[in-house]
Amino acid sequence: MSNKNLKYLTGPFSANNPVIVQILGICSALAVTVKLEPAIVMALSVTAVTAFSNLVMSLLRNGIPSRIRIIVQLVVIATLVILVDQVLKAYVYDVSKQLSVYVGLIITNCIVMGRVEAFALGNSPWASFLDGIGNGLGYGLILVIVAFFRELFGSGTLFGFRIIPESWYLAEGGFYSNNGLMLFPPMALIIVGCIIWAHRSKNKDLQEK
Amino acid sequence: MNKNSNTYIIIYSTVMVVVVAILLAVAALSLQKRQYQNELNEKKTNILQSLGAADQNFDELMTAYVIENGTKNETPADKVFDMMKTNKDLRDSYAAGKLYLFVAKDGRVVIPIVGAGLWGDIWGYLALEKDMNTVSGIVMAHKGETPGLGAEIATPNHQAKYKGKTIFEGNDFVGITLRKGGAQNPAHEVDAISGGTKTSNGVTNMIKDCLGAYVQVLKAQPDVVEPANPEAKTESETQKVENNE
Repeated sequence: MSNKNLKYLTGPFSANNPVIVQILGICSALAVTVKLEPAIVMALSVTAVTAFSNLVMSLLRNGIPSRIRIIVQLVVIATLVILVDQVLKAYVYDVSKQLSVYVGLIITNCIVMGRVEAFALGNSPWASFLDGIGNGLGYGLILVIVAFFRELFGSGTLFGFRIIPESWYLAEGGFYSNNGLMLFPPMALIIVGCIIWAHRSKNKDLQEK
Repeated sequence: MNKNSNTYIIIYSTVMVVVVAILLAVAALSLQKRQYQNELNEKKTNILQSLGAADQNFDELMTAYVIENGTKNETPADKVFDMMKTNKDLRDSYAAGKLYLFVAKDGRVVIPIVGAGLWGDIWGYLALEKDMNTVSGIVMAHKGETPGLGAEIATPNHQAKYKGKTIFEGNDFVGITLRKGGAQNPAHEVDAISGGTKTSNGVTNMIKDCLGAYVQVLKAQPDVVEPANPEAKTESETQKVENNE
């Protein structure tokens, strides 16, 4: 893989991250990060949609009538989202129930259409595909970090396995209790804020003057 | 070729729509069976949960019946689930006087219930002990009740409160009431959810309406169920004698 292509793939992980630098896709980052498992499934679903919508749109880019460009984009994205939704319902039913409407709402995730419009329509299929994967994973990375803290401190578990021992809890005579606020969406926003803070203090060039 | 001519745009969008339609239709058809199987398994798990027997095999443990015009017919469970596929189907069955009953090997029964919460449907399964009076367990789900308030009905904590409540007072059907401000009659009442009064009332009505339709069935039930062992038979017979007195 050439350097340039590698940059398309890894750029969105940190320096050009869709969530913490471009502040896109915040809505679903708040909604599906109570537990790690749905967060990871959501991350993979979004990655599949961004990657393949970029690929398809890049392949079609020379034939699309510019007057119905946005409509074509929406049809392609919506088709992919419905496919992802159907596959989840068939193979990981429990998780698809937890994600409920948010799978369908991938259509409205600004990252997907943003990448198609800004990148795929002007670049080769392979570069667009990598850019889609990179952005999907960059989004997923933040989702997983947020979900890690929310599940650990909100429920005392990770992937449903108990991390904080039962005997620590007040009910069992211990000293500890879960932070109920972690289970509510505002806490996800605060964690995203903390990640942005840490990220910008490391990357001085991102700081606004 | 002019890509912005009307002819090109119409042809382009027609081809696109047809391709997408074929793709989605193929995907939906090929995954349909698996999705239905998932929904079926979920219903079975819910029924087992209401009995507190989530680790057991549904098909071995349960027998399904359809009750119509007072006659009770054993029906394959999958067929019964097909008849009550959606909440609307179940509601229509209730309206038509067609009742479904799942009977466990140990004589307990499970009744599918459906009602209306504040924002949408609420539904679930209620399990009764062998005496057809004491609640053995309940599982409830909702479409869109308020998280943290009405949605509490779907939590195990709330559902545990129904266990041991009785639905008959003497010979009269009373159901279970979710009382605002706390249960007063511990036999037939549970605490309503604070901040979720409308949903709580919905649950009260759901139990009253649905179980109310089953009163005759429940009263006849101990006679119909084959007892699991001879001892249980004597037990139920003694009970019957007591009731007759």
